[in-house]
Amino acid sequence: MDRSNQPSPYKDKAFKRSAWLFLFLICLLGVLVMVSLASGYLALTPADIWRTVTGEGTAAHELLLYQFRLPRIVLAVLVGTGMATAGAIFQGVTQNGLADPGIIGIHSGSGFFAVLYLYLLTLNQDQPPVWVNTGLPFAAFIGGISAAVLIYVLAWKEGVTPIRLVLVGIGVNAGFSAALLLVQLRMSESDFNRALIWLSGSIWNASWAAVLRLLPWILIFIPSALYKARVLSVMQLGEEMAVGLGTAIEKERIKLLTIGVALSAASVSAAGGIAFVGLIAPHLARRLVGGKFQRLIPVCAVIGAILIVLSDTLARTILAPTEIPVGLIVSVIGAPYFIYLLITIKE
Amino acid sequence: MKKIVLGTLSLTLLLAACGNNEEDTELDPADGTVEDEDAEEVQESEGPRILTDGLGNEVEIPEDPEAVLASYLEDYLTALDITPVAQWSINDGEGVQTYLQDDLADVQTIPYDLPYESVMSVEPDLILIRDQIEQDMVDQYNLIAPTYVLNASPTSWRETMSEIGRVLDREDEAASVIETYDARAEETASLVQETAQGESAAAIWMIDTSLFVVHPERSSGSVLYGDAGFEIPEVVDQLSDDADWAAVSLEELADMDVDHLFLISDGDSELMEDRLWQNIPAVENDNVYTFDSQSAWLYYGPIANEQVLDHIDSSLQQ
Repeated sequence: MDRSNQPSPYKDKAFKRSAWLFLFLICLLGVLVMVSLASGYLALTPADIWRTVTGEGTAAHELLLYQFRLPRIVLAVLVGTGMATAGAIFQGVTQNGLADPGIIGIHSGSGFFAVLYLYLLTLNQDQPPVWVNTGLPFAAFIGGISAAVLIYVLAWKEGVTPIRLVLVGIGVNAGFSAALLLVQLRMSESDFNRALIWLSGSIWNASWAAVLRLLPWILIFIPSALYKARVLSVMQLGEEMAVGLGTAIEKERIKLLTIGVALSAASVSAAGGIAFVGLIAPHLARRLVGGKFQRLIPVCAVIGAILIVLSDTLARTILAPTEIPVGLIVSVIGAPYFIYLLITIKE
Repeated sequence: MKKIVLGTLSLTLLLAACGNNEEDTELDPADGTVEDEDAEEVQESEGPRILTDGLGNEVEIPEDPEAVLASYLEDYLTALDITPVAQWSINDGEGVQTYLQDDLADVQTIPYDLPYESVMSVEPDLILIRDQIEQDMVDQYNLIAPTYVLNASPTSWRETMSEIGRVLDREDEAASVIETYDARAEETASLVQETAQGESAAAIWMIDTSLFVVHPERSSGSVLYGDAGFEIPEVVDQLSDDADWAAVSLEELADMDVDHLFLISDGDSELMEDRLWQNIPAVENDNVYTFDSQSAWLYYGPIANEQVLDHIDSSLQQ
């Protein structure tokens, strides 16, 4: 990116403000992570945690913290970051405040392909191949891309209006969900239940292996999104203006959507379809730091992480030891917010 | 801007790095929970037993495990006189396997989906898993205690019984459980011979107005037909798909012309007013025997099956 024409970022007041805000949110996330580490079915006092962190804890406490709670929290952070950033990209590219990949069918497209993939690989086979889980994000990615293309084609009518996109998206969402149900009905009872829990969004069986499968996707595509943030900002000026400023708009749009689908699909393959994160996080971020994507994306990503870590902490403590799928908690918060946005959106 | 990018990057990398280190360093104390020292002394004669489980993993079975967690396999453990360390439950411990509570009343409950922290809290030293689960989850359970996924199909109780006997080093006891059961089944079979030779039966599970019929080779179906020797109605044979209990319509049930109806139901249904219901031979001849849905009919295992045999005996002797 060529910055020579721009004023030094450190003199930019708005930048300074959002940098501080970003730091504050990181700290908030840090506090939440601590709270989350300490909460769960098995009681752990702050003293226990301190002893464990300094290496003087019992083996059981180390196991609990490092192998069960920490991977779960890290996965929550990654999934939240991925889904929120994907939401910001979708909203930016479509210039549509309602374009959450969870609502418009990207998630269910990813979910459908992921479940189909698992079903076909485990069919007639006693043991699935060892790479089955590594391939899962790729299957989800193909599903997400198919859903995105389908939505765009169906919604196209001399351009794509926000409401039209959402309505078609909800239709596509329903279609993929139905197809998913068809596959599920062919599964055995235990596979069916597993698929159901996974699809309603759950990270309760997180492990470091799951974290390592998701991490490369986040490490590649979050920086890509940040790199493309300027293009997203230019797009907000309108198509003509963007072309005037030398942006190859269709090409950029495809690149950005690919990044968005990659982030959302990888997150879905790790945690199932958690809707509304991609809706709430960008909206809150826009309220806090305005519509410039260079500032919006980092803030949005941290808000997404906060949202999932908070929801997951609630999910495993409210009815402990019974676990509520984290997706349900997010939906309880997210659905009213979505309705509020639907009511207040400008035509 | 660049700072933020770098910040995000380094944070993620840091988290990732933490993850890796901890994984390497913490594995050892976790394995230590198996209490190698105690085990070694006892094992001098034989050495540890290593068995290949249903996922193809080689599992080292501890000598004389004291705290066995075997969710939804409690029937088999009880038959071997082993009290499990926790028992299967749903609805936050509200729903348990009622038919086993004579033996399990004092055993604490654990949610059916076995959350890691719940499993940790009961401190098992061996975990038996009934259904094939993901390797990722087995790896996590293995950090708590050796975890063995059964090879035997959950729908075959004899295989399951033998395998659990093999894993727990009680093969002879498991064989004698099966023998005792088979001898007990003979009694019911001869009773059926005497009182209902050549007559057909079906077990129907009624939930409101929905009807389900038991698979002829599974759960109480294997007892009814395989052990007690009732005739299988033609419709039941045709219906059998991959479910333990297959949905069946009232018309199909009427088509069965079934002589004895074992009805699993928690109350009367409006279906029973229907002419089709009234015309079933079993209903006409007053050969309908009702049991509640908490009874053994919906389960698997030697204890469940023996209770089903008892139910059949008392029904025929009415």
